[in-house]
Amino acid sequence: MAALKLFSLQRSAAPMMRSAVLLAPQQRGCYKIVTPKESDMSFKDITDRAAATMFWTELFRGFGVTLAHIFKEPATINYPFEKGPLSPRFRGEHALRRYPSGEERCIACKLCEAICPAQAITIEAEERADGSRRTTRYDIDMTKCIYCGFCQEACPVDAIVEGPNFEFSTETHEELLYNKEKLLNNGDKWESEIASNIQADHPYR
Amino acid sequence: MGKYLGLDKVSRFFEILKQNGGIRASLSKIYRTDELKFGTLIGEDKYGNKYYENKMYFYGRNRWVDYNNKLMLDYDGSQVPAEWFGWLHYKTDVPPNKDPTRVNYPWMADHTENLSGTSGAYMPYSTVPPKIQAWVPPKPKSS
Repeated sequence: MAALKLFSLQRSAAPMMRSAVLLAPQQRGCYKIVTPKESDMSFKDITDRAAATMFWTELFRGFGVTLAHIFKEPATINYPFEKGPLSPRFRGEHALRRYPSGEERCIACKLCEAICPAQAITIEAEERADGSRRTTRYDIDMTKCIYCGFCQEACPVDAIVEGPNFEFSTETHEELLYNKEKLLNNGDKWESEIASNIQADHPYR
Repeated sequence: MGKYLGLDKVSRFFEILKQNGGIRASLSKIYRTDELKFGTLIGEDKYGNKYYENKMYFYGRNRWVDYNNKLMLDYDGSQVPAEWFGWLHYKTDVPPNKDPTRVNYPWMADHTENLSGTSGAYMPYSTVPPKIQAWVPPKPKSS
């Protein structure tokens, strides 16, 4: 019974609501004019504009802005003494790391060589005297490298990393053809910072 | 009141002069670094570079390094050792002399500046023995 009543109510109410929607006035009052406002053509405004043109007021206001900037604190930094902020994830000069015991980490799995999109890494491996697998050649052409960081992502033992150093510019091309000794030496020099960067980033990986 | 008239700038000027060690030292400092600043000494590394901080300057200028005075104008950005690198680059607020977690292994090497252009510059060489032996022509029998 109740369902029937509801049905009839709906039937009687529906046409009324439809007409209300159709008859509602279309309210569209919030237009925004995006074109530049037309200049006022009253006599006072015309003379004001003419005066602004004749007396170069824009020019002197421009001088005012220049003068204000002379007294402002410069927004630049004095580079070799002050340095800009860096992220622990910054990808700079490459380095080969060592275990705390001093043993080199790289096991010559060649994953970095495989993933390198610029093919900048060359690895040759050999068995060492104690039977462990190590690289004999680990060359990175730093002029090919695009600093994408894939090598450090691919490395299973965290051996090759892109360290924080970016001040390794050289005067000749050949100085940027790094070999294993140079990369291990970089690791020895930068281990303190590399380790703290990995420590800072470890909650996010 | 003095702050609104800019009088604190005058007192700061004398403070900066005093901290930089007088007029002569301040002039030489300006000559070396184009800048005269004052701040608290945070630490000194083993190469004689001093690290300062003053939060009065804006972020990016509030930490700076004063390279060893012996270098005079031969300072370089790459002379900051790895320990202080992170602090100077705002990666951490803990200076390395107050950070017990910082690693220090006996095999770690001393810092060197970028030696490009000097006799100590790195030159690439092969770390493997050559795989091809060049043919040495037999000596012709002298007649």
